[in-house]
Amino acid sequence: MSETRRGSWKDSNWYVSMSGFFREYRKHRIGVFGIILMFFFLVMAVGAPWIATNDPSPGATIAPTFMAPVWMQVFDPNAVVSKEYMTDPYLADAPVFEYRGSPDEFSYAHHASTGSSDPSYVNLTWTHEAYHPLDFVVPPIPLSDMPDCRDFVFFNKTLEWTPEKMPNDVNITIEFSMTTTGNFSTNENGGLMFKLYIWLIDSSGNWKMVYKSFPPYSSVTQSRNIDLSWFDILAGWGGMVPDPVTGAQPEDPTDLLTIGVGLAPTKEFRYFGGEFPWRTYNGSVTAKVSKLSVFCYGNYYGLLGTTDKGADAWSQLIYGSRVSLTIGVLATALSTVVGVIVGLVAGYFGGKVDEVLMRVVDFLLVIPGLPLMMVLAAFLGPTVENIIIVIAILGWTGTSRLIRSQVMAEKNKAYVESARAIGASDTYIIFRHVLPNVTPILFANITLGVVGAILSESGLAFLGLTDPSKPSWGRMLADAQGSGGFSNGAWWVVVFPGLMITSLSLAFTFVGHTLDQVLNPRLRER
Amino acid sequence: MGLREYVIRRSIYMFLLIVAVVCFNFFLFRLPTLVLGVSPVDLMISEEMRRNLTRDMLEQLYFRFGLVPDPDIFDWIYMFWRYLVNMFTGNFGLSFISGQPVIDEIMGRLPNTLLLMGTSSLVAIMLGIWTGVKVAADPGSRKDVSAVTVALFIYALPIFWFGMMLLMIFAVYLPSVTGGLISFPLYGTIDTELWPTIKDSPFGGLIMAGDILHHLFLPMIALGVGGYGGYFLYMRNNLIDVMTEDYILTARAKGLDENQVLYKHGLKNALLPMVTVIALTFGFLINGATLTETVFTWYGLGRYIFTSLFQLDYPVVQAIFMIIAITAILANFVADLLYGVLDPRIKYA
Repeated sequence: MSETRRGSWKDSNWYVSMSGFFREYRKHRIGVFGIILMFFFLVMAVGAPWIATNDPSPGATIAPTFMAPVWMQVFDPNAVVSKEYMTDPYLADAPVFEYRGSPDEFSYAHHASTGSSDPSYVNLTWTHEAYHPLDFVVPPIPLSDMPDCRDFVFFNKTLEWTPEKMPNDVNITIEFSMTTTGNFSTNENGGLMFKLYIWLIDSSGNWKMVYKSFPPYSSVTQSRNIDLSWFDILAGWGGMVPDPVTGAQPEDPTDLLTIGVGLAPTKEFRYFGGEFPWRTYNGSVTAKVSKLSVFCYGNYYGLLGTTDKGADAWSQLIYGSRVSLTIGVLATALSTVVGVIVGLVAGYFGGKVDEVLMRVVDFLLVIPGLPLMMVLAAFLGPTVENIIIVIAILGWTGTSRLIRSQVMAEKNKAYVESARAIGASDTYIIFRHVLPNVTPILFANITLGVVGAILSESGLAFLGLTDPSKPSWGRMLADAQGSGGFSNGAWWVVVFPGLMITSLSLAFTFVGHTLDQVLNPRLRER
Repeated sequence: MGLREYVIRRSIYMFLLIVAVVCFNFFLFRLPTLVLGVSPVDLMISEEMRRNLTRDMLEQLYFRFGLVPDPDIFDWIYMFWRYLVNMFTGNFGLSFISGQPVIDEIMGRLPNTLLLMGTSSLVAIMLGIWTGVKVAADPGSRKDVSAVTVALFIYALPIFWFGMMLLMIFAVYLPSVTGGLISFPLYGTIDTELWPTIKDSPFGGLIMAGDILHHLFLPMIALGVGGYGGYFLYMRNNLIDVMTEDYILTARAKGLDENQVLYKHGLKNALLPMVTVIALTFGFLINGATLTETVFTWYGLGRYIFTSLFQLDYPVVQAIFMIIAITAILANFVADLLYGVLDPRIKYA
């Protein structure tokens, strides 16, 4: 094949070699720009796993919906950056440990990591002996922010909140395991006798409980993701920022927020089901906490914000180049092969064969294009392979007409006559003599065909005819349209996918136009 | 071969093409039934309902959709015959979704589509010819290169996205920035809230026309810009080709001034192929613009194909396919004849 292609340059009157072609091509600025742009998209498609920051599947929620891109923060000096606010979430350094009430039965420990297989952790331990008195709150206060027992142990870590704005959403993630011994593990109600709590403690000393654990417990580390309610966020962060309505000064003296994690006995330990467990239980409870993370969301997330489903738009945008390029190139390759074969056969043999093939072309040209693609894609199922086939079915007609007209002009030339005279077969003449001479004119046609295929693919995806598991630019636009993205002011979900489609097809358009200028003899003479 | 013979030959050929389209349509829309054995009736009634119906009732239900329950080869031939008779007598059946005759549903949407496509094509053609002539007088100049680049940019632009951007700017941002001074509707073809005013006011018709134009503006611009690139490039390339002809040289040699050469001798000849292109465009007008109509929720045929397809309303899609294909065939025919009438140099072969 490479032989044949090189032959075409040699046969051409204007170009002696490939380098001659490039010398001519370089003169067209938009052609060079198109090549650079194409290369850029190729790098994007190949390097997608490294460039993308998150799971690209359209349903992968990672943040609240319609967050703005992070770089929009330059217009918003008080912006809250969406990030991990806890310094040292994996507890590499010892946190502050404290007791409340009597420390007799409680202890703590911090283990610093010694290697990657040995993570850091914090142990909070409660060891109970029967009849050891505990200072219970009697009667228990329902919905209290404090535990049912005044004696307990906790550790706390402080984070700094510099923005003068509350976060939009906060996720606290805690990883812990519970090891119980004695009655705590043997008694079926042992899990009810203690709880692990998480508090937000502001700098005025107000405690707000945001999480308490429930049995069953396991000695295997498990993760809990706590999505704070608006009231929790108001209690924790509200004192550190000026009132958004009146502009009143913050009530808390410093911009520090403390997160406390504690282990405490419950009211069930004092009296449960007609029994007094504190008089009968012997044993210990150890809570091993290996991660405490506080992720605050502002109005901004990721390089390009989030979509209507809270997925990362940047990753989808990067992976979308794969679908567009694959479908654009493969559909054009398929339609070109069909178009060239039909064009060669029709042009070379003429007569009845030509008549039949050209009537098929006429027929395909009067069938409405996009509706037929829609019907076929819907019937066959919108997988990537089927979309390629559907686009190729309608794409070959133009190529075949072009090739046919070129072949009809070529086939009566002397060199074909002489080849036939020395007994060359039809196949040999077609592929060895006729095809190389019509190839140059084909290149521009192919490149412009890719543009059509890319635009068709994005149009079909916009109508919902796309592989539902794969991100695609047209689909991103469809999501933006369907969820009212831009009427909510989320312009980034509309602008960027469209810009990508435009620039990718623009790259092919520029290259195709330049190839046409350089290779098409009719245009070159001007 | 004379004109008469040519017309007769083309007419026979046109008729054969129409027959081919009709047959193709039959198999395309019965593909699910042929391949998967699923008929539209299965989608309408549940298994339980089917068991409760008598054979006669079931057959009647299928008959309504031009189908036969559990078809064998003779049933297929019968169905095909009925379909042929219906198509050639203009009976497109009932819509599965609305239960109304398909032809009524289509006629309700046709004026909207023709309005949108007609105005936008006119804008595109006018602009294309005008700018094409302007730059073709001086090919290779800075003006020419930048105009060609813009046309290529439009060629690469997904029009539905351009429509979304227009909506975002003119229907969301500008109204909020200017306080509603410049405002375009976000969706629809006509504002239903205006109906009472239109009914009561003596100038109801004017108000309605104004409202429709208000809704028409953005989709018209989107489609007009989308079509412009093609017309511009075609016009420009044609005219540049014509300007290299010998008779242009003759005109210049006669001492005519350049404007006269360009407009009297160049443009007239370059417009000839343009006329056929325009005729073909008007053949495809009825096609609508599915994507743009979807973006602007325009009540037209393009969007109707899309919604019917997804509601499995096959009689509608089938009928629209038929109508579009037949119009396209007719437009081709007319374009060919028109070219011959306008350009006496053409010989019928």
